[in-house]
Amino acid sequence: MSLRIVPAPTNPSTTTPQLGAPSAPGVHDTLRSNLNLAQPAPKTSATPSTPLQSAHPLESRLANWRAQQETLKMSLLRRQFGIAEPVKRQMEAQIVRAGEWRPSVLGAGTAGVHGDILAGRDTELDWEDVFSGEGEMREGVDFHVEMEGRFGMAW
Amino acid sequence: MPGFDFSNHNRNIALHAKGVPLPKATSTGTTIVGALYDGGVVIAADTRATSGPIVADKNCEKLHYISPQIWCAGAGTAADTEFTTAIISSNLELHSLSTGRKPRVVTVMTMLKQHLFRYQGHIGAYLVVAGCDPTGAHLFTVHAHGSTDKLPYVTMGSGSLAAMSVFETQWKPNLSRDDAVKLCADAIEAGIWNDLGSGSNVDVCVITPEKTTLLRNFKTPNTREKKQRDYKFKRGTTAVLNEKVITKEQISKYVTVHDIGDGKAGVGEKMDVDTQPSAPS
Repeated sequence: MSLRIVPAPTNPSTTTPQLGAPSAPGVHDTLRSNLNLAQPAPKTSATPSTPLQSAHPLESRLANWRAQQETLKMSLLRRQFGIAEPVKRQMEAQIVRAGEWRPSVLGAGTAGVHGDILAGRDTELDWEDVFSGEGEMREGVDFHVEMEGRFGMAW
Repeated sequence: MPGFDFSNHNRNIALHAKGVPLPKATSTGTTIVGALYDGGVVIAADTRATSGPIVADKNCEKLHYISPQIWCAGAGTAADTEFTTAIISSNLELHSLSTGRKPRVVTVMTMLKQHLFRYQGHIGAYLVVAGCDPTGAHLFTVHAHGSTDKLPYVTMGSGSLAAMSVFETQWKPNLSRDDAVKLCADAIEAGIWNDLGSGSNVDVCVITPEKTTLLRNFKTPNTREKKQRDYKFKRGTTAVLNEKVITKEQISKYVTVHDIGDGKAGVGEKMDVDTQPSAPS
């Protein structure tokens, strides 16, 4: 169990051309594939191979940053207090995650206030919290629509 | 992907591989300094913002607020210094509310270096952090890659060499407030005259444990001179060759106005004209 502080560089050094439309997997995209109509163009796979947007080294670093810090913290706790401490913390985090629901208008994917307190970042604000990447370009799901969907009131 | 957007990077390197030249790096120019003195700390900055060879702003503000007793002078990419200091200011306020203590300058320095180290220098913020807290007056520099310095007098930016030469020759320990302000202003002025990337005015911020004083445009050595000659032509210089007067009645030949509706002006016809209100007739 290594004690890495910064994530290992995992950015791809080569790219494979995506031949289908990334927004609609499985659908043929003429402009991305060949314009030669004699041979059929391959379709894209349903799951994109790389979740990262680019081969930029910074992107994989930022994407794995928090997970790496969490791993480091847990392995340090394990060395100091034994396996019981990280297991207890992860159980607490899991309980909190299961018991809390955040509407998407408040950022559904982000950790709730309990999760933030357990992770020790309840007084932190980062650029990822401000610029969530969602909802800036398009309108998010309305709170009432979401509740109606949760309770099966979609008629 | 939240936060930074990397979606154009693959396209850019593919274009570069095809022979499209890379964009040129823009050199940034600034002089910022800071000096400790007996009972506080002074930071100062010039006010020129450049974008390459062009002066973008002749009187911009490079001294950023972090907390009432902690201020930051920023060199490098203007947007990055602005935004980084803003987000650290927010984090610091949350932190001090959580701990119930006045924020420490070392806390700011640590937050900044951890934040900047994570971005590997891609956030081009070169900062001088200065402030007073219950442990005394402190002065730090933070580079874009996350390295920091702690010195009694610091300079940063492209004019740092000119400013440092002033500090190295004139700085003494246990300066008074006025001497420290003058020394910092002189160091900035050395940058203004000797560095092309720095110019215009001198901003100074004096921080003591009791009070922060921002001396905006403390020195203005580059005020615009009055032009020696007046190139405006007097009215009537150009001779009138011919003159044609169109009276109001004759305009109807070219323009006709039809009233629509009940005679009142339509909503679309109302216009806010920014003129002096005329006297009621």
